[in-house]
Amino acid sequence: MSGSNTPVASPDALDGAARGALRRHILTLADSKRILGIRYSDWALGGPSIESSVATSSMAQDEWGHARLLYAMLKAWGDDPKEVEHDREPDAYTSLPALDRPQEDWAELVAAMLVVDSALTVALEGFSGGLFEPARSRVPKMVAEEAFHLDLARAWYKRLARGTDEGRSRLESASRSILPGTLAWLAPADDAFRALVDAGLTHDGQTLVGEFWDRCGGSLELVGVEAISTEPDREGWDDVRGRGPGHPGEEAVERARGARNRALLVE
Amino acid sequence: MRESVYDVFARKERGDPLQHIGYLDAVDDELARVYAWKTYDEQNWFEMCVVPRSAIVPVNRTDGPFQSGRARSERPAPDMSAPQPYGGDS
Repeated sequence: MSGSNTPVASPDALDGAARGALRRHILTLADSKRILGIRYSDWALGGPSIESSVATSSMAQDEWGHARLLYAMLKAWGDDPKEVEHDREPDAYTSLPALDRPQEDWAELVAAMLVVDSALTVALEGFSGGLFEPARSRVPKMVAEEAFHLDLARAWYKRLARGTDEGRSRLESASRSILPGTLAWLAPADDAFRALVDAGLTHDGQTLVGEFWDRCGGSLELVGVEAISTEPDREGWDDVRGRGPGHPGEEAVERARGARNRALLVE
Repeated sequence: MRESVYDVFARKERGDPLQHIGYLDAVDDELARVYAWKTYDEQNWFEMCVVPRSAIVPVNRTDGPFQSGRARSERPAPDMSAPQPYGGDS
C-alpha cells in the first residue's frame, strides 16, 4: 500500500481511477460470495454425510449474508443494490471463474472450498486492512466466520488426499484446474488493481498471493501442487469485470437473482 | 476409516453450566469441531466443545442413555466408492 493513511469514509474522497477500481473490487467480492453460496447450497442434501451437508448449508448462508453486506456498500456509488442483485444478466457477473459451473463431485467441491473460499477470504482480509472505512468496520466479522470454512476445507482435503487413489487424483485435478484463474483474480495485473493498491485500499498482489499460499499451500502439497510451479492464467482477462473470460451459467444466475419465483411476489 | 460419535457441549455465558446440546458423527476431531459449530450454531454460544463418546466414563450406572448409545459410538465411515464416490447426488 502507498499514499496517505487517512481512512476513506466514502468513494467520493477518491480519484476517478481508484473510485471505479473500488467499485469493481466490491462487486467481484459480492458476486463471488453469492455464486459460491449457490455452489455450497448444491450440496446441502448431497454431501457424503448428514454433517457435511449441514456444514455446506450453513456455509451457503454465511456466503449469502456476506454478499448482501458487500452489495449494500455499492449504495455509496449510487447503485441500487436491488438492481445489482436481481437485474443483471450472466455476462455482467464478476464472480470468480472457478465458480462458473457446478462442482460435479465432492472432491471438486472440497478443492473449491479450499482454493476459492480461501482466495476470497484473503482478498477480504486485504480489503479490511485497507483504508476504506466501511470495509474496516464490516469485513472483519465476515473473515472471522470464514475460519470454520477453512478448517472444514483443510480437514476434508487431507482426508481425500490420503484416501483412495481416485479421490486424490480427482482432488489434484480439480485443484490444478481452478488455481491459475483464481490466482489471476486474487492479484490482477491491471491498472484498476494498481489504482486500488496505490490508494491504500487493499494489500498488493504479492502480499495477497503470499497469504494465499500460507493458508492453502500445506494442503495443496498433499496432492503435489506447489506454488513455484503454479502460475496465474491471465489469458482473456476482462479488466471491466476484474476476472478472466466467461461467466456463471444462466441457471446459477437465475437462482442468484431469485428470478424464477419473483413474479409470484405480491409487493 | 471409521466414524465415531461425538457429543457436543456448550455454554451460553461464561459462568453458565456446560450443557449437552447434541451429538454428531465424524471421522476425526478436526471434522467433529467444524460439524459441531456449523450444526449447532443457532445460538450465540460462549463456548462449545466436542467429546468422543468413547471417552466418556460411566460413573453411577452402566445402562444409562449415554452408555446404551456407546454401542453405536463407532461405525464404518460412509462408503465413498462407486457409484457416487464423493457423495454426488446419492
